[in-house]
Amino acid sequence: MSITVENLVKRYGAMTVVHGISFEVGRGEFVSLLGPSGCGKTTTLRCIAGLEDAAGGIIRIGDRIVSAPDQDILIPPHERQVGMVFQSYAIWPHMTVGENVGFPLSIRKVSAADVAKQVDEALGIVGLGPFKDRHPSQLSGGQQQRVALARAIVGRPKVLLFDEPLSNLDAKLREGTRVEIKRLQRKLDVAAVYVTHDQEEALSMSDRVIVMDGGRIEQAGTPKELYRSPVNRFVADFVGRASFIDVVRVEGGAGWRTPSGALIDVDDSSFNGAGTYQAMLRPEGIDIMEDANAGKPGRSLPGTISDSHYLGAYTEYVVDAGGAKVKVHSKRDFDVGSPVMLRFSPENCRLVSSPAGTGK
Amino acid sequence: MSDQTIGLSDVVIGKPASRRTGNTLLKCAYGATFIIVVAMVTIPIAALIYGSFRTAAPGMPAEWTLRNYEGLASPGVIATIGTTLWIGLLSSALCIVIGTAIALLVHRTDFKYGKVVTMLVGLAFYFPSFILAMAWIIIGAPGGIFNAVVDDMLGLSWLRIDIYTTMGIVLVMVLHQVPFVYLTMRGPIMGMDGIYEEAARTAGATPSRVITRITLPLLSYSLISSFILTFIITIEQFAIPALIGIPGQVNMLATQLYLLVRFSPTDYGLAAAIGVALSAMTGAAIWAQRRVSSAGRLTTVTGKASRLKPIPLGRWKWLAYILCFGFGFLALILPMTILIYTSVLKWFTANPFDGLYTIRNYAYIIESASTIRSFWNTLLVSGVGAAAGVLLGLMCAYFTLRLQPRGYRILDFFVSLPFGVPGIVLGLGLLWAYAYLPLPLYGTLALMIIAFVTRFLPYATETIGGQMVQIDKSLEEAAWVNGATPLEGVSKILLPLVRPSVQGAYFLLFMAFFREISSAILLYTASTAVVSISIWSFFEQANWGLASALSVVATLIIFVAMGLISRLVPAARQG
Ligand SMILES: Nc1ncnc2c1ncn2[C@@H]1O[C@H](COP(=O)(O)OP(=O)(O)OP(=O)(O)O)[C@@H](O)[C@H]1O
Ligand SMILES: [Mg+2]
Repeated sequence: MSITVENLVKRYGAMTVVHGISFEVGRGEFVSLLGPSGCGKTTTLRCIAGLEDAAGGIIRIGDRIVSAPDQDILIPPHERQVGMVFQSYAIWPHMTVGENVGFPLSIRKVSAADVAKQVDEALGIVGLGPFKDRHPSQLSGGQQQRVALARAIVGRPKVLLFDEPLSNLDAKLREGTRVEIKRLQRKLDVAAVYVTHDQEEALSMSDRVIVMDGGRIEQAGTPKELYRSPVNRFVADFVGRASFIDVVRVEGGAGWRTPSGALIDVDDSSFNGAGTYQAMLRPEGIDIMEDANAGKPGRSLPGTISDSHYLGAYTEYVVDAGGAKVKVHSKRDFDVGSPVMLRFSPENCRLVSSPAGTGK
Repeated sequence: MSDQTIGLSDVVIGKPASRRTGNTLLKCAYGATFIIVVAMVTIPIAALIYGSFRTAAPGMPAEWTLRNYEGLASPGVIATIGTTLWIGLLSSALCIVIGTAIALLVHRTDFKYGKVVTMLVGLAFYFPSFILAMAWIIIGAPGGIFNAVVDDMLGLSWLRIDIYTTMGIVLVMVLHQVPFVYLTMRGPIMGMDGIYEEAARTAGATPSRVITRITLPLLSYSLISSFILTFIITIEQFAIPALIGIPGQVNMLATQLYLLVRFSPTDYGLAAAIGVALSAMTGAAIWAQRRVSSAGRLTTVTGKASRLKPIPLGRWKWLAYILCFGFGFLALILPMTILIYTSVLKWFTANPFDGLYTIRNYAYIIESASTIRSFWNTLLVSGVGAAAGVLLGLMCAYFTLRLQPRGYRILDFFVSLPFGVPGIVLGLGLLWAYAYLPLPLYGTLALMIIAFVTRFLPYATETIGGQMVQIDKSLEEAAWVNGATPLEGVSKILLPLVRPSVQGAYFLLFMAFFREISSAILLYTASTAVVSISIWSFFEQANWGLASALSVVATLIIFVAMGLISRLVPAARQG
């Protein structure tokens, strides 16, 4: 089943927190909602689940309209057949693991024998078979998380919804569970919406990522599209690390110039005339040369190393160049204060629009 | 550098001296608190037990005997125990259902008038039991208003009711105690993390199934605990079964005890044995309640603000209105209206168009020296008594929860003991005790204050202690590290932080003392009568008009004081 969201609007009193967003999640597709805290990710997810009443727009699950306040349609959550994993798991403390997982079935009047069979199966899938009769208080955080996962998939939901399910786990466990969630979703072949503010999680798990800010969608696309061709500075900054250099268009459109006057070659396929622009550089797409004269015109900038952070696999250098602080990753050692030359190819130097005033 | 060294040595020199004086003061306070509490609690209980083994009234020559306990097994007393249990269980069950339903409606659904209902229930909570019972007698007695309307005016004689029955007692008990259940269930319901219910909604449960499968089971320990507490206050309730049960010859243990002491043939020994038996019942119930609430604390309260969407009531809306406003009407509005009506009648009549109206009852209240004195007595007992009770409660909370010096567990035990002693039993114990003790306390207001403080000490201690445990010890320690003595730590850090609960406890005790009747009924004399006793006596003399007028005045004082206090000190409402 697919999920279609059209012009979804959500208000709390007079405050609008979701401003008419639209997106689609195809069958078997895994889509992440990514954005800073308070941008409306959870709210959007809860509107899909029916835990929150939308104020406008249409939400479809499969062919069925589940939310269309303009037509007075607001299907309650228990009729939407969703599976949802909550951030704090919400494992009912008065039920055993088996009863928790069996709840979506028994509440739909599935016979006891079938419930037992499917619960065993679901617990087997998440590797908690022997824990069936335990109480939630006797489980670790990671195990509780897997109970929540089993409970979400046991009722054969049409769609799966996740609200930061991994944020309470430690880094190691998080990686393992990512793989597991992905595997389950593939197996069930359902549409999944995954809310997170961890960009690494979003990039590694998703077929597509939707970047939100302030209740609006900034960009939607595959992880590669987002990383390589962000449409604006916000997306570029939020997805991965990036540095930005102010640029202005040379009269006649013959290239782009930094504040210091240097001409640089920029991939300006996203240029559409109006607005202010910056050139975005990813730290791994830049080479540092010791020889300050080794640069090719248009594809290099002279600078001075102003700071360095040793991170093991590489060192992150902050270089004053082109009137900005440019982050560069390199395996080689340089001293703070030494003059260097930064080299990059045009495909790693992309033009992004930047809202006036935030340019730096 | 050298400045610092001097500063440090100053502290080193200064500290031990001040700490020693602080400690001495605290030690004295601890000793005094310990002795006062232990004496206050043990004397009446010991005297009661002593009395239960004696053959004659307090102060009379008598011998040791087991006769009184044999008396407990007599058919009459057995029947009374049965009635007590039956009324206790039935009323508590009904209270739990109604009180929890109201709490769920107000806090979990889209019920519109939650604020109004909360206010009605809050007022009903402070509406004195004996006044409620009187009002319902005026309504439901064979010659009361209800029967006059349905039978004499409408000719529907099959609708006649009689309040002087077991069911009459249960009705008024329920009306009186539903607010208690509401108030005890409100916290757990509001504090519960909504995520459990949301998870059930997405798992396919309808709102009503969520309530039965998730909400109520998660509340089960709170429900059981609230049920037991309601059972306790029901079986130790005195005024309602006395006013309604005695005319109808439906006896509960508390009223039987009263009859044995107040009406001949008196039998103080058997009364004492009944008191012991009743205390044993409440004590056992309290023990069970403690077990339940400590064993079964499910961690459902995460402190995370829940965004739970209110459950739409839809077509059940009307049922919700009927339940909530029906309760408010029967427990508060109707009784108040009837009392006001009765208070301005010259002669009682059910038909307001036949009535001759007068304000002579109110005039009498102002002119009668004894009534005015009972008001002063009440203010004195409530004002001074509550202050004493709060001070003692504060000490007990501090010593048992904070300082924990040697023997604090003993203190803790004695502080909680009065929970298990019904008011009338406490009164009887004091009656026995002060017949022997060489203290000129009998017939003084001081004795009344002692009785009230003893009875409500656990409430004061719990209210203050509840807040004290939430104040991190490190706040005080930070003060010590910065040079404060323990005493200064208490006065500069702890006291200001627990002030809201101290105010709350004062409010609670003041209101409780103002309404208290069960422990006063055996202790009062003409000069120490309090308002509740005056109302009681007027009613016993069948002077409904005067009793009603005085009730109206007392109720208004209570409501006005409540309004004032909750406006002036918002924190006091937590109490
Ligand atoms: N019940 C509510 N009443 C009023 N405002 C609310 C309510 N719930 C959420 N909001 C507001 O809606 C906005 C979006 O909240 P939402 O929970 O969707 O953010 P989020 O993107 O999930 O953030 P986070 O990553 O911190 O979880 C926030 O500004 C929040 O303050
Ligand atoms: Mg969120």
